[in-house]
Amino acid sequence: MSKAKAQQPAVIHKVIMVGSGGVGKSALTLQFMYDEFVEDYEPTKADSYRKKVVLDGEEVQIDILDTAGQEDYAAIRDNYFRSGEGFLCVFSITEQESFQATAEFREQILRVKNDDNIPFLLVGNKADLEDKRQVTQDEAHQRALSWNVAYVETSAKTRANVDKVFYDLMREIRSRKMRASQQNNGQKKKKKTNKRKCVIL
Amino acid sequence: MVPQPLVTGVSPKEGPPGTRITIRGENLGRDLKDLIGLKICGVDCLLSAEWKSSSKIIARTGSGKGKGDIIVSTKSGGTGSCTVGFRGFFVQIGPLQESAVWIDETQTVLNQLGRRGNTSPLAAKDDDDPLGISDEGNKQKSEEEMLELFPECSGNMSLENFSPAWYLLENHQTASFDDLKHGLTNMRRSARTRSEGPIAFVKTNIGAILDCLDSLDTMYEKFSEDDIQRECISSYAVSLMQAKSCADGLFQDVLGRKDKADATRNALNVLQRFKFLFYLPLNIERNIQKGDYNLVINDYVRARSLFADTQVKVFQKVYKEVESRVHAFREMLHDKLMKLPNTLEDQKKLIKYLNHLECKGDPAWECIQNQQQWLYSLLTECKTHHINEPDEPVINQRNSINGAQIHYTRGSRTSGYFGEAGWKFRTPQKVLFVEELTEIMTNNFPDFWKLGHAYMSGNLTMKEEGKNVKSDQTNIFKQMVSSTIKYFSNIVRAAFLPKSLENLAEDKLKELGIWPDSQQEISGAWLPHCVRYVRSCASSLCGLDLPSDSQELIHELAFDMRTNCMFTMLKQAINDVRSLHTKETWVVELDDEFGGTTQLPALFENIVNEAIQHLHEVVVQNRTGEREIFGHRTVQKEATSLCTKLLEAFAPCLEQLAFSKTEQVATSPVQLRYSQDKNTNRDQEDLIPTKDKKLIIMLSNCNHTKQHIIPRLVENLNKYGYVETNKVMQASQDTYNKLDEKLFEAYIEEKSDPIVGTMEPNMYRGHFDWRHCRQPNDVRNYLKEVIMAMIEVHAEVHSISPAFICRVMVKIVDAVVEELSRLIQCVPEFGTNGILQARLEILCLQHTIEIYKSENTITSFKEALEHLPDAAQSDKRKMEELMNKFRTQMKFQLMCFTSDTSTA
Repeated sequence: MSKAKAQQPAVIHKVIMVGSGGVGKSALTLQFMYDEFVEDYEPTKADSYRKKVVLDGEEVQIDILDTAGQEDYAAIRDNYFRSGEGFLCVFSITEQESFQATAEFREQILRVKNDDNIPFLLVGNKADLEDKRQVTQDEAHQRALSWNVAYVETSAKTRANVDKVFYDLMREIRSRKMRASQQNNGQKKKKKTNKRKCVIL
Repeated sequence: MVPQPLVTGVSPKEGPPGTRITIRGENLGRDLKDLIGLKICGVDCLLSAEWKSSSKIIARTGSGKGKGDIIVSTKSGGTGSCTVGFRGFFVQIGPLQESAVWIDETQTVLNQLGRRGNTSPLAAKDDDDPLGISDEGNKQKSEEEMLELFPECSGNMSLENFSPAWYLLENHQTASFDDLKHGLTNMRRSARTRSEGPIAFVKTNIGAILDCLDSLDTMYEKFSEDDIQRECISSYAVSLMQAKSCADGLFQDVLGRKDKADATRNALNVLQRFKFLFYLPLNIERNIQKGDYNLVINDYVRARSLFADTQVKVFQKVYKEVESRVHAFREMLHDKLMKLPNTLEDQKKLIKYLNHLECKGDPAWECIQNQQQWLYSLLTECKTHHINEPDEPVINQRNSINGAQIHYTRGSRTSGYFGEAGWKFRTPQKVLFVEELTEIMTNNFPDFWKLGHAYMSGNLTMKEEGKNVKSDQTNIFKQMVSSTIKYFSNIVRAAFLPKSLENLAEDKLKELGIWPDSQQEISGAWLPHCVRYVRSCASSLCGLDLPSDSQELIHELAFDMRTNCMFTMLKQAINDVRSLHTKETWVVELDDEFGGTTQLPALFENIVNEAIQHLHEVVVQNRTGEREIFGHRTVQKEATSLCTKLLEAFAPCLEQLAFSKTEQVATSPVQLRYSQDKNTNRDQEDLIPTKDKKLIIMLSNCNHTKQHIIPRLVENLNKYGYVETNKVMQASQDTYNKLDEKLFEAYIEEKSDPIVGTMEPNMYRGHFDWRHCRQPNDVRNYLKEVIMAMIEVHAEVHSISPAFICRVMVKIVDAVVEELSRLIQCVPEFGTNGILQARLEILCLQHTIEIYKSENTITSFKEALEHLPDAAQSDKRKMEELMNKFRTQMKFQLMCFTSDTSTA
């Protein structure tokens, strides 16, 4: 077991799925994780997934926290959000309310993370149900633009863009981490140098 | 080797023990059996594991606490690893919270109630952070400081003097304005949810709320007891009442529905539980139709034991229905029981059913009574039917009778009837009657008796009643049996032995049936038939071990029938014998031993033998249990006298034939004309013999009868058990002797008269004179004629019966000699030639009839010879000569007499 653990890549990207109830967060997750599409709906409380993926030639682990969309669990979201490194904010293109709710989720995430540039993707799910569409691509794009995030339409059923959203988000997380580490390194260096300087001085 | 199992997903990732989690991953086993281990937070949960696919397992978490791994082990892949874990935690479940697992509430709830009973659960829950902004690590102000800042205020939200500022300072001192703004929206939202919350909350916690209400009530009572003024609690009371009514109002609907649902469920449960009872009426009906009476009874008994005393309305109603069905069933069974004919087994079964159903009264007893009545009515019906039926039943009518009464004849008779219809065409009604009647008895009475017997022995009654049945009803039953038997025997008697009922009253006789005169007599040929029926009936009834008086009755009936039959048959035989004379054909059959007889004696013997034989077979021969027919004194006497009569009856017949003259002659030509046969024409003419011939034939018949037939018959009678046959023998012998004598005398007279009568004229023919006659040179013609006549008689007798020759000839010779002697003695004076002549003739005759001489003839000859004067010596010589001449001349004639001696 320890051996197995030891083999696990050290880099873990923590992704959190947010969005109203029933928009397809779990469906997207399960499609991504296990290539399966679950038809029957069972409200999620909080599910946890983690697996090895190869991101641009680099083996990393993706940790997905699938959260509850229902309002009942709104109170415990804060705690979850704190641990997240990137967010997939999902709505259903067939349900206007879910689209509206994305604003609230964004707001809460930003409040908890206290970071406007947190890796974030606006995801319009159920793209296969074009005939029931209630949210136009335009308004979704506009909102994404206003948030300075990307907007992707997916279908958990057809697996369209499923990998894309997760990989895109991971890349963002990675690049952000790298930036942060550079900053840290820089700070450290600075400090070090400063210290040294100080010492030298 | 298959890679190790790897768990990569868990849903949900945390929860209390018993949470149902979906575990996803890779290589979680190839099949159900491949999965050999599952540990969640170090606790083995394999038992609850549901293997869905190699990437999915569903399981329930155990009691593991804290964050832990989920390790799957498979046979193929060994112990695996995981990338995700599960966090188990214990929630302190409050009394108002849902829980997926059973929780020991004695600790938590009681503690909570005891310690913090006054804190509102709602407040307690939201106490921590109503704003929803979690700011850690803020420096708190001490309470003293706060009290200084906000005098007479409090930071406790549940208190009236709550001060928001105090609260904010106390809890969110370092929060930014934005944070507070967010907190406000958050609070608004939770307030909104809270406003909707109560109903849901109350719905889920109805029990606790009701408890609360109850405790409030008790509280109220306590208060009102403690507080004499009542004023200080009135406001509480009002608001409590309001709250209560509000709560009541809120839940009126729900409660009502719940009650309804409960009631329905209850009703359904009851229906299910007591399905048996509710279906019972239907089942009873169905089983009755199916004929499964046992089942019905069992069901009913079960239902009765369960529900008879029930207080439940519904059960009472249904049970009433059941009772009514069973009542109808009872009636049905009862009707069935009363409907006859029925087999004994069926009856017993039905009675048993009725007993099990606890029918009112005593079904078995009723059945017995009913059956007796039925039997009675059957007998009566049979009787009246046959009495009213004309004596010449047409076949068609018979058919209809059989059709109507087939139910107790059981078909056996019908076939018999049609088979015999040809010769039974005129079967007397009485015979039919007795056949049918006995059949009714033998077919139905045993069942009746057996039923009664079973009843008396207690087989047909419920156990507890078995005892008190005995004494009373046994007697009644015995009476019933004997009266039935009596009725049976009486109607049989009325038909056959009306005389035996003479001492009964007139109306009673009518009841038993008075047979029309036309049917009063039935031929003897049918009687044995009837007797056979009655006897077989009697024996079958007696085989039943009936009470002695009934058995006596039956026996008596059979006995009377037998004697009656015997007498009738004997009388019939007598009549037959008496009318035998019409059958005489006068054909004489010669027999060396017995002499010549006609067929009449043989016919007579046949008739008698047949009668005896027949009687023996039908009447006399005893069956077991029957009385000896000759044991009875009067019967014995009667039988003897009848036998005697029978044997004697032939005598008048013979006599009539012997002395019949013209009528026979007159009738035979008439008969002749009818029979146109050419042969018989001549024969018949010859067949009617002359009177003297008839006499001798009858004499021979009589003799034969007397000597051979009567002894044989008597011996026969003896053999068949008739008593006092000696007397019969004696009497009949006497009769025949008398007849014999009479016939013999008549015959002798018939024969000797002409001979004797012609002697005198012939002797004196040609003016013969004993004094002046010439010297005789030969025996005179008259003597020769006499001899010839005698030869003629001899021949006649010989032709009929040589045995009689001697007897007849002696008599005739006697008469002739006597006449000759008389004639000689009457001669006043003889000449010498006359003397010679007379002597010659006497001696010749004497010589001729030497072998037939008797005392009489000897004395007659002696007297005649004494009357004659002695003849001279010379004449004697002459006489010798003449005698010799006579001998030679009459040689052939004389041979008739001598040859007899050789044959005799």
